[in-house]
Amino acid sequence: MASTTALSPVKSESALLNALSLVPGVLLLAAIGYTGKFLERFLNTYAKAHHWTFPNIEYVLWAILIGLAIANTVGVPKLFQAGVATYEFWLKLGIVLLGARFVADDILKLSGISMALVVIEITVSLGLMTVLGRLFKLKRKLTTLLAIGSSICGVSAIIAAKGAIDADDEDSSFAIAAILALGALALFTFPAIAHGLHMNDVSYGLWAGLGVDNTAEATAAGALYSDAAGKVAVVAKTARNAMIGFVVLAYAIYWAGRGQAEAVTNKAAFLWKKFPKFVLGFLLMSLLVGFHAFSKAQIGSLGNLSKWAFLLTFAGVGLRTNFRDMSRQGLRPFIVGALGEVLIACLTLGLVVGANRIWGL
Amino acid sequence: MSTDTSSNTPLSKVISLSLDTWAVIIAVALALAVRFDILKNVPW
Repeated sequence: MASTTALSPVKSESALLNALSLVPGVLLLAAIGYTGKFLERFLNTYAKAHHWTFPNIEYVLWAILIGLAIANTVGVPKLFQAGVATYEFWLKLGIVLLGARFVADDILKLSGISMALVVIEITVSLGLMTVLGRLFKLKRKLTTLLAIGSSICGVSAIIAAKGAIDADDEDSSFAIAAILALGALALFTFPAIAHGLHMNDVSYGLWAGLGVDNTAEATAAGALYSDAAGKVAVVAKTARNAMIGFVVLAYAIYWAGRGQAEAVTNKAAFLWKKFPKFVLGFLLMSLLVGFHAFSKAQIGSLGNLSKWAFLLTFAGVGLRTNFRDMSRQGLRPFIVGALGEVLIACLTLGLVVGANRIWGL
Repeated sequence: MSTDTSSNTPLSKVISLSLDTWAVIIAVALALAVRFDILKNVPW
């Protein structure tokens, strides 16, 4: 037993080295994020002092733009890559902590509306991407990956499905590149369209959570509009993420039935393995707030910790978006993805506008 | 988002827990630190 619980000197040394290898990249994320925050404040103060009319460019956009500029010019040096890859960890940490800013009742109301819309969105998106994949004669498993990626939650869903349906590495790289490129475009198009339509924070947050694929981009697209919209986007996206196990399980059974993937023997274990555990952390945090475990000032502190975690995430979103790498993956999956995304964005916008009329969001 | 993605990330290589689980553990630790006033008035 001891061998399973105690780390050997060699193992603990390599664990320490692994941990140390993260430091430069995490510091880079922090430096970019903080520069974004500094620029937002500095430019606002400067413009006010000189009586300039200058649009308020949020730290979120600065952090993404600085990251994009580095990734697409000098690139991210190897020394920083391991730490930069932790941006997903910061995203999940931020989401769990953000749970403290919601009372359970709010989550129930928002998740209830989100869930109804999510079920429609997933059903239509899966069907739509499958039809487009066949029209453009993409490989069947690549179509499955694109369908899962665009209907639920982008890159992670694709990776989760890849193993379950035994897809090629090449197919998953195609699908991931298409979803990432489209996510980067959504960061700029979603807020612009919403401003044009004068959407309120809740409606826009729901739209970003339903229409943008990757959780990091959905969170950023929400936060680019407003703080409140960012929070709603996280709830809607979390509701979407919670569905991942069911959809991947359905596809795994489908491909196993065709003899092209391993059969799923224990469905409950499969669902638990694929279920995103940070969703439970998010709910736990809001339950604790519901039971008055924290004072108002403490809730404020937890909310601020969540913002710091997101700051690192947004820097990572820019840094990992390399347009050159994406363009090497080929045009057809991108076209299918883009067509599908535009249609899904229209569908989800229609759903949100409809929900706003019915429930008055 | 699935926990699967995390199995290849450097952070989860440190000790073999999923990224999601790490996020929840650290969030709970931070929440406890705030609850018992070890972390106070976190600025933004």
